Amino acid sequence: MSVDLLREVLRAADWAILCYFVALNSGYLVLIALAGVEFVKHLRRSPFAGTDDMFRSPLTLAVSLIVPAYNEGPGIVAAVQALTSLRYPRYEIVVVDDGSCDDTFDRLREEFDLVEVPRVIPAEVPCRSRVLSVHVSRDNPQTLTVVRKTNGGKSDALNMGINLARHPLVCMVDADSVLDPDALLAVAKPFGDDPLRVAAVGGVVRIANGCTVVGGRVVEVAMPRRWLLRVQVVEYLRAFLMGRTGWSRLGGLVVISGAFGIFRRDLVVAVGGMDPDTIGEDAELVVRLHRHLRARGEDYRVVFVAEPVSWSEAPASLRALGRQRRRWHRGIAEILSKHRGMIGNPRYGRIGVLALPYYVLFELAAPFVELSALVLLPLGLWLDAVDVAFAWRFALVAYGYGLLVSLAALFIEEMSFHRYPRWGDLVRGVSAALLENVGYRQILTVWQVSGALAAWWGTTAIWGTMKRQGFGEPPADAPKPARAGRR
Amino acid sequence: MAGAFTAVVLVLAAVVATTGAGIVGARLWRQARRRRQAELAARPRRHLLAFAADHEAQGADALVAIAEPAWRAAEPGALGLLGKLRGDAHRALAAVFVRRGAAARAMAALHARGRVRRARAAQILGDLEHHAAVPDLCGLLTDRHREVRIVAVRALGRIGEPTAAWRLIAALDHADGLPSLLATHALAQLGPEAEITLSAALDHPAARVRAVCLDALGLLGAAGSAHRVARVLRDDPVPEVRVTAAASLGRLGTPAAVDPLVRATDAAEPVALRASAARALGEVGAGAAVPALAVMLGDAQYRVAHEAAHALRRLGPAGQRALRAAREEPADAHATGSTAAMHAREALALAEIATTAARR
Repeated sequence: MSVDLLREVLRAADWAILCYFVALNSGYLVLIALAGVEFVKHLRRSPFAGTDDMFRSPLTLAVSLIVPAYNEGPGIVAAVQALTSLRYPRYEIVVVDDGSCDDTFDRLREEFDLVEVPRVIPAEVPCRSRVLSVHVSRDNPQTLTVVRKTNGGKSDALNMGINLARHPLVCMVDADSVLDPDALLAVAKPFGDDPLRVAAVGGVVRIANGCTVVGGRVVEVAMPRRWLLRVQVVEYLRAFLMGRTGWSRLGGLVVISGAFGIFRRDLVVAVGGMDPDTIGEDAELVVRLHRHLRARGEDYRVVFVAEPVSWSEAPASLRALGRQRRRWHRGIAEILSKHRGMIGNPRYGRIGVLALPYYVLFELAAPFVELSALVLLPLGLWLDAVDVAFAWRFALVAYGYGLLVSLAALFIEEMSFHRYPRWGDLVRGVSAALLENVGYRQILTVWQVSGALAAWWGTTAIWGTMKRQGFGEPPADAPKPARAGRR
Repeated sequence: MAGAFTAVVLVLAAVVATTGAGIVGARLWRQARRRRQAELAARPRRHLLAFAADHEAQGADALVAIAEPAWRAAEPGALGLLGKLRGDAHRALAAVFVRRGAAARAMAALHARGRVRRARAAQILGDLEHHAAVPDLCGLLTDRHREVRIVAVRALGRIGEPTAAWRLIAALDHADGLPSLLATHALAQLGPEAEITLSAALDHPAARVRAVCLDALGLLGAAGSAHRVARVLRDDPVPEVRVTAAASLGRLGTPAAVDPLVRATDAAEPVALRASAARALGEVGAGAAVPALAVMLGDAQYRVAHEAAHALRRLGPAGQRALRAAREEPADAHATGSTAAMHAREALALAEIATTAARR
């Protein structure tokens, strides 16, 4: 009798899991469809977007680019040089050297002829670390500032940058990111068009591995050589480009990548800056902004801009990928736990009743459900709760629908921005969408589950190391401690 | 149940295969289209570049004679070029567009049902600097779609017809009105002839309108309005408008601005106004402001002290003397906030860097 009951329970669980997969992928598909609509809208409007007018206007809001850097010696000079040649009328670069042990600062000092200045730094947002010195470029003191401080982590470095920032908009950029020349104009444009309501704008992050970078610019886009990276390219397209564009259209964007996002400085100060105790500090800031602005009953927008883009290096090894995904999922778990009062709360509008419940159900819970499926389906087979015919159909529907979602993302990309011009890359992208279901997704679930559990058990967050390959250059030998959680 | 399940799997497989085929089809279609467009646009592009370099009548005739399909292929590039050109080169290329009927088509499209068509038409007319379109573009300032209104503002600014000033000002006062910075830039592009309208609008009941007009007057360098701006700085009931008036006086740079600005730095005034006034005093460049700025160096508010220090730096030798005097004041060893000496050190260090750079 008890075995029969167990079989019934297993059968019901398997059906429930199948329904969950269908709902999950249907959600993705809806977001991708919304992104498609948004891209069409964006492309139809590009002839009158007014980007050139914005570049020429003396009133375009000035931006402070904040670049936290920890042991970025090999690439910091190229990164800052690339930032100095962005197409934008008025901006400053604030590099925060977060207690690097390597030659990050020495390289900057040599290249930009840095000179130390006594600087009064307002404590508008809290910083836990101590400032060692502030430097400006002798040739252009208004454009480049480098602050050296004791190590305090990425959030603390960003907070220091926010305090030093002189301009009304702050843009957070990873030191190893490569921005398209017009990327800053594009992400700042919503502030010009709708200055009273736009609170923050997220830019899209794509994978730079495999691309050719010359002089701090991506000059040739190509798929990476390794399958692990190709799968991530498809994943970034589906989840970051399409998913966030879809959420932006729904008015429910809760994640802006720390690698490329721009915020109104006064609002960031008003909410107290970055939270140094959350590992997913970028998303946490956005959720906190929503909370703050909703609580004040303000009419505001958080927007996502799909192009141009910031290019970032993705983990090329399983080990580094595992650390990154554990960190990301830990971040989701921490944020949802910290802001649990917003979940399902109509006071917070679409964020409360739509976006955050979605994140609980389909982002946080997804790896747990998938892991359950990997256990319960074989168990059901073993106990004769389900037959083989059900099992293979179950797998085909669950993973087939996932494949369809990835292909839909590739289709929208092909119809809109088509950044991968080679036929070979197209074939590799489709193949990666297929291969993603074999092994990659399963191992991802294990990492994600362990990340969420670490958050709930309160274990110490470990940032780990990531070996940089460099952009279009020979791989760097030395491993680089990665301070930043990249989303 | 198994049958239904199998059907679902088969349908899914068919959709997956169709999506895959769609990706390949989209790539093939795009490549073929790009090739065709490139072939069509090759000749017009050569003519365009030659014309942009010498803008002679022959070149204009050659561009007008280009067949419609080839011109359509080259038009995005031609419009891009038009947006970048200025002066005679711009006028000559705009005349080519007008002869090809682009202006007439755009004028008609200003009344199209689709908002994208209306916005595109407004953009083209702005790029052509087509003065005849001003009344219709002014009509678009109250379009029900924000994006159309935005393009109309930019187009009016680009055309630079001063009679559009009052319509732009009126559009600012609507619910979901124009973005302030965009309107300010457009108003400033209308030139000195718009000064009277802008100055009169300083009495407008809407604070946002007054702020935009103040900014525009500052950008125009409308020194004749300095007294009216000073009056707004002194009397306006809205603090944000007074902050804008201070910034505007800084841009105007007239000696008449000094006294009202110095009064605005009074400790009883709001912090934002005092900081803005301090900054403006630095821009005006009047030595008479030094004593007031020197006092502000020790202000407890970071922004006020910071702006005062950098204003003194910009004021040259007199200001820097005041900074050096403040630098010598003993600083609190445990100070973490603003003190006069710390701000003075910062400003002097930057002044020294600028001096060294100038010598080099």
